[in-house]
Amino acid sequence: MPMKTAITVLTLALALLTNGAVMANDGKEAGAPYFQSRAFNVPILDGWDDQSGEAFAQFHLAEAQATIRTTTRTLSDPIAAAEAELAMLTSLRVPSPTYSDKVNLADGTWQVLVYDLEEETTASVMARTADGRVVVISFIERDPAARTAMLTLARSDESHEDAAREMILASDALAETMPSYLAQEESVTLASGEWSVYAGEGITAMGLVFGNDSYVALQQGEQGDLAALADAYNRTLLGFFITPDNSQYLALALAAVLVILGTLVGSLFWRERGLRKDLAVLEELAREEE
Amino acid sequence: MADKAKSLPEDLRIEARPQPRALRILTIVTVLGFAATLVLGLGVAGADIQQGEIQRIFYIHMPSFFGAFTAFGLTVAGGLIYLARKSEKWDRIALAGVEVGLAFSLINLLTGAIWARPIWNTWWTWDPRLTSAAIMCLTYAAYLMLRAGIEDPERRRAFMSVYGILAFVTVLITLFIIRIVPETIHPVIVGASPQNAQGSFEATSGVVIALIPSMLLWLTLMPITIMWHRVRLEERMDALNRLKFQVLSE
Repeated sequence: MPMKTAITVLTLALALLTNGAVMANDGKEAGAPYFQSRAFNVPILDGWDDQSGEAFAQFHLAEAQATIRTTTRTLSDPIAAAEAELAMLTSLRVPSPTYSDKVNLADGTWQVLVYDLEEETTASVMARTADGRVVVISFIERDPAARTAMLTLARSDESHEDAAREMILASDALAETMPSYLAQEESVTLASGEWSVYAGEGITAMGLVFGNDSYVALQQGEQGDLAALADAYNRTLLGFFITPDNSQYLALALAAVLVILGTLVGSLFWRERGLRKDLAVLEELAREEE
Repeated sequence: MADKAKSLPEDLRIEARPQPRALRILTIVTVLGFAATLVLGLGVAGADIQQGEIQRIFYIHMPSFFGAFTAFGLTVAGGLIYLARKSEKWDRIALAGVEVGLAFSLINLLTGAIWARPIWNTWWTWDPRLTSAAIMCLTYAAYLMLRAGIEDPERRRAFMSVYGILAFVTVLITLFIIRIVPETIHPVIVGASPQNAQGSFEATSGVVIALIPSMLLWLTLMPITIMWHRVRLEERMDALNRLKFQVLSE
């Protein structure tokens, strides 16, 4: 009787589950502010001009002369893919990178690159090989009055709560600024997180700690729009790989839950059955002895 | 049938030991509660604007860990009381806690990995929280293997009581590691954290409506109901083993 009750209730539960899934789909918010493609998913940046095409997400901020672009290239080498992307995007000769390093994030190893191009253009690129292609996320700044660069670095000193050490490393590598020239300023809270700010003569550095890594933005020359640029670029980095339509993963996860619970409850039934069989054998033996 | 029942020890007589009414009610309430929390999580709570549909697994992922916490906590209680009173009943509770807690931990670990694939773009990363959760599962899986390997019942009960108490350290580490080692990408649910820049969500009213019933269900009804069934089965298995021993020695 309890078995029959359980089956009835489980059937009811499954019917409700199906109904729930239908309701969930009906209630889904349409037009989420994301550019969605098969390979990546990036936020549509508020206040930026959306220049995205079918296979690439591209946003431009005219007042800062900055462009953020995410796309994939059918190459195997991340550096070659980054340089091909920059050459296509800027129509400028691409020299050797000013900064080149690797960083391990949750989804694998990324190549982090900064290029000082002609016509006072600075480009910061993150590139990673995935599924036979290279995903390239580029930040290009053409403002002649400022030089802005974005870096992602592994945290070198975990005793620091903010990204101070990485900001100093980045400013030393890119701006050849003595670490002592940077003084801490008030931190700022943006959509991407809480950023610490350091400033020196003609340079501002902003840093965001996320997990084992620090996200650093540097600006030299005329300053003022670094917070907006850093926030936009890092929102792109932090959100870009979320799979657009992930309802199949939800179905997989629910199946895993039901299988584990089913195995747990089923094992109780199986063991009970085994127990009864053993009992029957013992009773048979006892009868034979009598 | 009545004659048959008379020849058996009382613990093995199904007719003599029907399922308690409280357990039957508890089982029905738990199954209905489980169905209701699924409806709340899949239907009532809205889809997360950033994470999409997969965020709904959170209504099982986090509560299942707390269900495991209850079950493993009862293992500690069972172990301590067994060591003090030497009553087999408490050892059975400890064992049931491990079996149920391990199943719930596996649910927690698997749903986390499936969530991570579309959100972090990886099934697994050696993050402190993920690593400690995996170690916790392995520690309790080892409990079951070790238990099966010790033949002397009294020695087995005493040893596994101590093991069950000590193993709870892995549960506490898993719970608090994101406070001890802040270099984690696992979302921190309570309180502000830089981790929440990625793979996090705001607790809107829809989230709360789905999360609180699910937490209550997994924290109390689910582990207690399943453990109660498991304890009853273990009682009968112990009685059967005693009967086998008796028959063989005759």
